[in-house]
Amino acid sequence: MKKNKKSTMGKATQRMLVGGMMSEEQEAVLTPIQMVFFSFIKDKIAMVGVFCFLLIFACCMILPVFFPIDMYYQDVTQSNVKPGFGMLKVPNVLSSDAGQLSLGSTFSVGIDNEGHVYEWGNFPTDKLKKLPKDMGKLTQVSAGLDHILAINENDEVITWGNDRMGLEAIPIELRMGEKPVEVYAGYQMSLALTDKGRLYSWGNSYIVDIKFPDGVQGHITSFDANNDIVIALTDSKEVVPLTKKSTAYAKVPDGVQGHAVAMAMSDESVAAVTEDGHVYAWGNNIKKTCNVPDKIQGHVKAIEGGRYHYTVILDDGSVVSWGDGTFGQNQAPSIQEPVKKISAGYYGNYAIGESNTVYSWGLDGYLMGTDDLGRDVFRRLLKGGRMTMTVGAIAVIISTIIGVVVGGVSGYKGGKVDNIMMRLTEIVSSLPFLPFAIILSAIIGNSITETQRIIMIMVILGFLSWPGIARLVRGSVLAEREQEFVTAAKALGVKEWGIIFRHILPNVITVIIVNATLDFATCMLTESSLSFIGFGVTEPNATWGNMLNSARNATVIEKYWWRWVFPSIVLAISTISINCIGDGLRDAVDPKSKER
Amino acid sequence: MRTGRFLLKRLVYIIFVFFIISILMFAIYKAMPGDPVKMMLQGNIKPEVYQLQYDNMKEKLGLDKPVPVQYMKWITNMLRGDFGYSTEYRRPVKDVIGVPMRNTVLLNIFSMILVFAISIPLGITTAVKKNSILDKVVQVVTIVGYSIPSFVIALLAIYVFAIRIPLFPISGVRTAGFTGTGFDAFVDTAKHMALPVLVMSVGGIGSITRYVRASMIEALRMDYIRTARSKGLREKVVIYVHAFRNALIPVVTVTTWWLIGLFGGSVVIETIFVWDGLGKMMISGLNQRDFSVVLAMQMFYVILSLAGNVLMDIAYTLVDPRVKLEN
Repeated sequence: MKKNKKSTMGKATQRMLVGGMMSEEQEAVLTPIQMVFFSFIKDKIAMVGVFCFLLIFACCMILPVFFPIDMYYQDVTQSNVKPGFGMLKVPNVLSSDAGQLSLGSTFSVGIDNEGHVYEWGNFPTDKLKKLPKDMGKLTQVSAGLDHILAINENDEVITWGNDRMGLEAIPIELRMGEKPVEVYAGYQMSLALTDKGRLYSWGNSYIVDIKFPDGVQGHITSFDANNDIVIALTDSKEVVPLTKKSTAYAKVPDGVQGHAVAMAMSDESVAAVTEDGHVYAWGNNIKKTCNVPDKIQGHVKAIEGGRYHYTVILDDGSVVSWGDGTFGQNQAPSIQEPVKKISAGYYGNYAIGESNTVYSWGLDGYLMGTDDLGRDVFRRLLKGGRMTMTVGAIAVIISTIIGVVVGGVSGYKGGKVDNIMMRLTEIVSSLPFLPFAIILSAIIGNSITETQRIIMIMVILGFLSWPGIARLVRGSVLAEREQEFVTAAKALGVKEWGIIFRHILPNVITVIIVNATLDFATCMLTESSLSFIGFGVTEPNATWGNMLNSARNATVIEKYWWRWVFPSIVLAISTISINCIGDGLRDAVDPKSKER
Repeated sequence: MRTGRFLLKRLVYIIFVFFIISILMFAIYKAMPGDPVKMMLQGNIKPEVYQLQYDNMKEKLGLDKPVPVQYMKWITNMLRGDFGYSTEYRRPVKDVIGVPMRNTVLLNIFSMILVFAISIPLGITTAVKKNSILDKVVQVVTIVGYSIPSFVIALLAIYVFAIRIPLFPISGVRTAGFTGTGFDAFVDTAKHMALPVLVMSVGGIGSITRYVRASMIEALRMDYIRTARSKGLREKVVIYVHAFRNALIPVVTVTTWWLIGLFGGSVVIETIFVWDGLGKMMISGLNQRDFSVVLAMQMFYVILSLAGNVLMDIAYTLVDPRVKLEN
């Protein structure tokens, strides 16, 4: 709507300018820049271009504040997730009669109070949809990376989903004699605890190496695991890491051993709840998972851990989460009724209230999917846009400054200076652009940091693309310097630099602006091409070009379309818009070209 | 006579530019990581004789001489076609660049033909039928065509023509294990070439159509066109003989720049389509730290771009008689 208004306004202004009685008076007060402006805003295509570009620009500059991303973050459990939401969308039947829920990597599984099983979310493998027949009533479920474990009323352990890496080989002890009481599906790994306090594991044994210290097996009451380690809670209320290596997890704080009643793990730390409701968290604290809020101390009843966050139930039935909040997983809602059960995993949380209603918060899905390293394409797109535009803009500024100085001096001075400078211009413009940029980037970029590398790309682009602007400025200055106002300035004793940059330059500024705009599109394209073949800005920094770098094979193009479609679209729209703007500006500056 | 003098002057100037650029290239050559003397001295050498051998080798390679002398030796070698030794292929560089060079030239010539075959008639038609529906559509399509980066078009083309509708192969020059000769071999290569040529042409078609159109419109407004028409010449003659020849002058400049850019830009396309050409060789040379190959490629691009300049000068004198008079 706003756009329409503008263009009608432009039309009205034009009508006033071109036809009618007032035109002559009006025209007399318009400066050339105003003329250009008015004829520019009535160019529809250019205005659409301005709108699209400003929209993308604003998105890239503002939205990263609301959608933060850690450039070094990666998570293979989230790799190649389809775009879309609904990971936390519990089926209607279940959401009012939930028994127990469990969060997997990008999907969830739950049972109702009759023992029926439901699955929802984004399934990494189609095998997850094939539910085993005759499971009977289920009493417990657990979802992992790409498989599900369950216990039924006959104390049988059932697994489905990914059946490779030995995940289908349920240990014989669980089928004879010992009753499973707790199951855990992890990253290519399954764990089950029996009523005799014994823990069994199967699956890929290279991921986590479990070593039972003496006197632990047979006394385990509860356990939790992450991708590094399994930690058990024993009947003597001690927290025991099941490993022989010394890790950060082994540094159990004083006051935990002998008093722990519940424990949970995130991917970087362990948290234990003691008899008096205190939470102790230890391990690494990169994502702030060990910063337990003070107000909950002494009130905690139960604890669950996700990948980088913890969620607890307090004694008044409310829930609190803390830790990493990238996907809002640490923003526990205030629930009206008391919560009886919670479940946290990966980046989400479920809470079941007294009325068996389900509440959820955390990662619900990715707007534009994720790439092969599990990074959110949308967020990288925003960051990448910022980078692409910054590199393009600074490169254009560098090339414009060089071009204006060389062209201005050369055009004004003429003679020998002109000759030398124009030869220089021709030499630079004879350099094969892309190959030269590649080779420079490869040689200089050998031993520098990533920030320096980004600066280097800007400088290379700037220093290779100034000849065009220099020629144009020289041409315009040549035409202007013979005009009377220059002679007048000379007669007044204005210094040469003053004449070039204060008197002549304002007259050729329109040419410069038009070319800088068009150059901006070219620089963005070149930067993208360089990054695309791996000689521009490199990972983990994102640009639209290097986001497409990993999409260079047929499998990705076919199966993971979101990884190349979205960056391609924004890149294309941006460059098309800039070119439209540039064309519109050129037409506005040069009224003759409008007749074309 | 004047044409000859003008061209000679340009030629002398081009040689001067080549000289300057070759100094730049030499600087790059010197800046390349790795000590060539150390690379030659392999095997078990006792520490006490190492320094002696190192000095000997340095002398043998001429690296003990002052930099200008080194440069002279280097540039003579380069001009004689001795580009050094490829560490990746373990053969002299000049023996390994033949096939890639043929492939690159093949690719570029075909996309050049495609671009001219489409953009010149299209540009003329849109100029003659200015402001028609066709003209407006072409205007929009061409701006899109030259704005979208080639690798995005490549991804799109692979998706449409190789995955959704499996018409063309997406990598290589020949089908693996292909043994046919003659016509069969040509068809096989043509199939492999279809997508890269298509992708490379899109940008060129976009920009050259626009240039042809703009300069045709400019030319059609001239007085001599009105004269020609009033003489009762057929419209075809007016457009193709009178207007087009004059419209060619700005087109020649743009075309030359585009051509040079085309060869440079085929680096990206060759990498995507695993086309065994110079660009791919340069990238793999950079990744493998095989700098002799890289430098030879760079030399090729420089010579190409200078040759483009010479060609542009010749083309100018052919299409515009005024050029000789001014110089």
